[in-house]
Amino acid sequence: MTFEESQKELEQIVERLERGDAGLDEAITLWERGEELYKRCVGQLDAAQGKIEELVRRAESAKP
Amino acid sequence: MKVEAIQYGDRKVYTVASFNRGVADWLSRLPTIWVEGEVTELRRNPRWQSVFFTLKDPADGACLGVTIARSRFDALRLDLSDGERVHVYGRPELFEAKGDFRMRALSIERFGLGDHLAAIERLKKKLAAEGVFERKRPLPFLPRRIGLVTGNDAAAKRDVLTTITARFPAARIVVAETYVQGPFAPAAMVDALRDVAAAGEVDVIVLARGGGSFEDLLPFSDERLVRAVATCPVPVVSAVGHEQDTPLCDLAADARASTPTAAARLVVPDAHELLHRLERTRSGLARGARSVLEGRRARLTHMHERLRRAPTLAVERKRARLEHAAGRLRALSPHATLQRGYAIVRAKDEIVRSAEAVSPGEPIDVEVADGHFGARVE
Repeated sequence: MTFEESQKELEQIVERLERGDAGLDEAITLWERGEELYKRCVGQLDAAQGKIEELVRRAESAKP
Repeated sequence: MKVEAIQYGDRKVYTVASFNRGVADWLSRLPTIWVEGEVTELRRNPRWQSVFFTLKDPADGACLGVTIARSRFDALRLDLSDGERVHVYGRPELFEAKGDFRMRALSIERFGLGDHLAAIERLKKKLAAEGVFERKRPLPFLPRRIGLVTGNDAAAKRDVLTTITARFPAARIVVAETYVQGPFAPAAMVDALRDVAAAGEVDVIVLARGGGSFEDLLPFSDERLVRAVATCPVPVVSAVGHEQDTPLCDLAADARASTPTAAARLVVPDAHELLHRLERTRSGLARGARSVLEGRRARLTHMHERLRRAPTLAVERKRARLEHAAGRLRALSPHATLQRGYAIVRAKDEIVRSAEAVSPGEPIDVEVADGHFGARVE
């Protein structure tokens, strides 16, 4: 699942919850799913950031 | 014409007259053509049948004697003087009495600067109509190898080489030295251009020649060269003469440079500036990547805050609805009526709805809003 797909699903869940038309049990399930997606997105962002910083560091150390 | 030889044993010998006759006869079979040169030693005498002059090649001084019938010469009204450039139409001939080789002219045309310009202008129109000047390919940003077609005269070649090397020290250059002026130049340059284009890895060719007289630059307007430039498989930069000269090869080339130095600047980037720009781009790259990431993170954080609030919100909304329903339920219960001051009277656990249902001295139970107490009927 790509970051964009996760983020999109998370946004849909939040909107659904905010509309308030979900049943209580369903709302809990949605919320749990939302938290899971959030964690996944943050993980992907952290990985990307780490990669960028690593590349910048490596590029700068290889300055001609 | 029959040329008789005298036989001395096994040796065949010709008289001078018959030899000349034979050569003259052979020469007369050659075609009539145009020859260009400068008029020198013009000799016209009203008593002579012919006018004589010598046609001189301005490039190397080669000479050719020319005769033309005086009546024909006078009819042309050229008023020629020594040193003038002419085109002579005629054929080779041997003056048999003297064994003199010369050209028998049928016509003479003065051919000056204006005529050259007019001829080039005609060629230019013709080639333009064919679309020869239309192909303009972009020059490579960084050619693997650079072809240089130039004369062995130092200036233009040196200018191109030093400028290229100064701008881009790692540049690889294939040099083809060739004639760049004189009658052999066009064909030689066509060959050089073709060879350099086929040399492998050559991505651009510079055709360079320093300044010169109008006539020096004429080969660069030669139809063969112009066509070769236009059809060259590799982009060509033309750098011929000075700013004000526009030989036709400039028009056919993919790019035109006003000087050989300018051509060098067109074919290679400045390595120093390039590195500098690359460095700036690289730091911009890291900045860009970080900002994309930050944007994503901000959006995600915002979404997460909304997600955190959402279930509480949902539960609170449901609780509010519940409270509302409870309120309505309570409003409908008898308890609310008691609070307004009413009481429920029970006798023997039955609600008393009529005064006749009880008799004096009978114990009753009275329920009010906050509890109940016993009483006795009077």
